[in-house]
Amino acid sequence: MKDIIRVKCLLSSDVETLLNQQIKKEAHSSAIYLSMASWCNRNGYDFSADYFFKQAEEEREHQLKIYKYVLDMGGTSISPDITNIKLEYNSFREVFEDALDQEISVTQSLKNIAARCQKEQDFVTLEFLNWFFREQREEEYKARRALELFEVIGEEGTGRWQIDKHVGQIAYNSEA
Amino acid sequence: MQQTLTVPKINFTEVFSTKNGAIYQSDSEGCWYIDFAGKLARFDYRNLLKLKKAVYQIDIEDRLLNSTKSADLEIIFICACDHCYVLSLLQIIKMKELLQGTFTMLELNHIIFDRLHRITA
Ligand SMILES: [Fe+2]
Ligand SMILES: [Fe+2]
Repeated sequence: MKDIIRVKCLLSSDVETLLNQQIKKEAHSSAIYLSMASWCNRNGYDFSADYFFKQAEEEREHQLKIYKYVLDMGGTSISPDITNIKLEYNSFREVFEDALDQEISVTQSLKNIAARCQKEQDFVTLEFLNWFFREQREEEYKARRALELFEVIGEEGTGRWQIDKHVGQIAYNSEA
Repeated sequence: MQQTLTVPKINFTEVFSTKNGAIYQSDSEGCWYIDFAGKLARFDYRNLLKLKKAVYQIDIEDRLLNSTKSADLEIIFICACDHCYVLSLLQIIKMKELLQGTFTMLELNHIIFDRLHRITA
């Protein structure tokens, strides 16, 4: 008996499901960052608003990258519906705390997919995921650095204004 | 003069069967035939997956506990597929059992292929 399903699609149904969940997660991240950009803009943190607009676009790119990969491998990618996006934040700091939490949870779920791929010996998807792990290094680094500004600069006086100015300058340039 | 008709030979392999139905695979056509609820229906790859999704999505437990007097029938309609099933709750359970067995066998077949190909390649 032929293995028809394998001929049609490289991905196992489990990996396909996990990738679709990740598509949703990236879309969710993008929506969260967009909401953060809105909050920052409304509260006078222009540089941070720009920073989050950029992040939102990046997350959208991540979403599309996985979306296309699933299709290229013969699978079915699902366009996710995104709901429950936080609109209000209690403080400037909370925005960055949430941003780091979000990035950590993305890294965790990518690890979960990789673990599944390893178990199935799906080396193709595993290799595809490598790009995302590299990306997460940068994403977590930037989110962590941003949050650290609150400690280094302090929020008193013109602190928050200073923090906002520095957020846009955070860059990760490790060659390792 | 007598003419001999050559009927194209289609080989079916039984993938899985229960006492309520069976699913066969045709290697030459690259599709499956489902013998269930009194009919034999042909499903290609996409449609088989859509059928699986449609059947698995039905919350059987919820239907069992639901005491409203609405009809105990479910219409399983698959986009861009010629077949449609109108099934009772009991039939849905049987259909699900058939599909679960089938996908387990297909998975097993895949594992065998995967191992074999890697050794012979
Ligand atoms: Fe991302
Ligand atoms: Fe990210």
